[in-house]
Amino acid sequence: MPILRDGELDIISHSVEQTRRLGTRLGSLLRAGDIICLSGDMGAGKTAFAAGVGKGWGAKTPLTSPTFNLIHEHVREKDKQRLFHLDCYRLENALDAENIGLDDVLNGRGPVIFEWPEHIESILPKERLWVELRILETTRRNFIFNAVGKRYEELVKQFRESTFGV
Amino acid sequence: MTNILGIETSCDETAASVVINGKTIASNVVASQIDLHAQYGGVFPELASRAHVEAISAVVDQAMLDAGMGIEKLDAIAVTRGPGLVGSLLVGINYAKGLALAANKPLLGINHLEGHVYSLWLTEQHREIVFPVLVLIVSGGHTELLLMTDHGKYERLGGTLDDAAGEAFDKIGRILGLPFPGGPNIERVAAQGSPASYNFPRAKRDQSYDFSFSGLKTAVMREATVMPSADARRARGTETKAQLRSGISVSDVAASFQQALVEALVEKTARATKAYNVTEILLAGGVSANQALRKAMRKETELPVRYPPLNLCTDNAAMIATAGYYRFEAGLRSDWDMEVIPMWPLTSDAYETT
Repeated sequence: MPILRDGELDIISHSVEQTRRLGTRLGSLLRAGDIICLSGDMGAGKTAFAAGVGKGWGAKTPLTSPTFNLIHEHVREKDKQRLFHLDCYRLENALDAENIGLDDVLNGRGPVIFEWPEHIESILPKERLWVELRILETTRRNFIFNAVGKRYEELVKQFRESTFGV
Repeated sequence: MTNILGIETSCDETAASVVINGKTIASNVVASQIDLHAQYGGVFPELASRAHVEAISAVVDQAMLDAGMGIEKLDAIAVTRGPGLVGSLLVGINYAKGLALAANKPLLGINHLEGHVYSLWLTEQHREIVFPVLVLIVSGGHTELLLMTDHGKYERLGGTLDDAAGEAFDKIGRILGLPFPGGPNIERVAAQGSPASYNFPRAKRDQSYDFSFSGLKTAVMREATVMPSADARRARGTETKAQLRSGISVSDVAASFQQALVEALVEKTARATKAYNVTEILLAGGVSANQALRKAMRKETELPVRYPPLNLCTDNAAMIATAGYYRFEAGLRSDWDMEVIPMWPLTSDAYETT
């Protein structure tokens, strides 16, 4: 795990299960309003990672692929907070984003996970945690975390501590 | 006679239909947007809601004309309230509200998945459905295995943990360079291939009734595509997309993929029939049009297997009107200010939602 700079992290996951566990660690650290962007090809593990995040955050229903419906809204028991899970693959512009109610999910009611965030990058808030998922081989994946903004640097620091103890 | 007008706009079809007494289809009009979205390989929300706005009035008018009745002859107006795309759902809901308000007719908000379930009540009417039955809903957005013990009484036994069955077809179709939608196109080329060519994983071989198709998707990608070289990958910002392996037989991959997916669906469904002692199996949703699925399901179980005719597998409004009929008969009505419910799992609560 090379430490690049504050707010950056480079990890290898060896299996879907490990990808999910990493997500769970991150999920347990999330607060309302946090923005997590998961960028990577089909099969890179975006939904598996998101499913872990949902579990760690405490979602009542398991996170599944939002591809068809574009946006999934989850709730957790303890404080009725929301978690939003979006697939932006089929979004092209601000009008599309408005159409699925992006404003509504970015109003801080809960954390937001974006898959295919690069499709609407121009209208995403500048401060966010960007995770790039790369397919290495069979089940190995490379995750590169890149935090923009104080909150997200802190989040990555906490994630690093909880995952690696450093 | 109870005449219900159904309106459906949850995704990419603008549809309206009049159904009499929950069983006779007096009209069934569907304005498909497939051509509109095919060039993009999927449904685009902005395009979809604009197309709904343009089509809805003419589609509803046509449905009333085909049914040969005026609005005054209707007993209620049923409309899909969710789950689906917010912008698309709103077009149907607002239109239905306007119509219901103007004609002073009751309004019924319908769960789209419940609509798919009730598409089965429009089939084989000489043979009445006897509860309990097992329902497998397989479509682009959903893969749900339900135990239905009465009208409106659902117990969810399981569902997909990641991709829906139809979504897996669409994504594999895209990998193989086939046109959108993936389902019928994969089925078409699979007919020329051998399902034994590749032994793709049958995921979730466990005691649950859940499904998982993302591992299958990744396995197909691994067999059928080549990743760019490590050097190319390391250089940020370069093309990193997988390319179709040269010389591969698309038909063989499609046939093997379809077989793996169908087997997973059939195995869990057949096991549930034994555990819950049901009278028959109902297949619904776009993927229930798949002939390989129908055939495998019939082969695997001795129970009757019921599935809708092709035009009722995919999204339509006759199923919404039929679901509406049973709600109407149960005395349920929706409020005038009902809102869309973009995420709405089908449980018994769905029936109580007004």
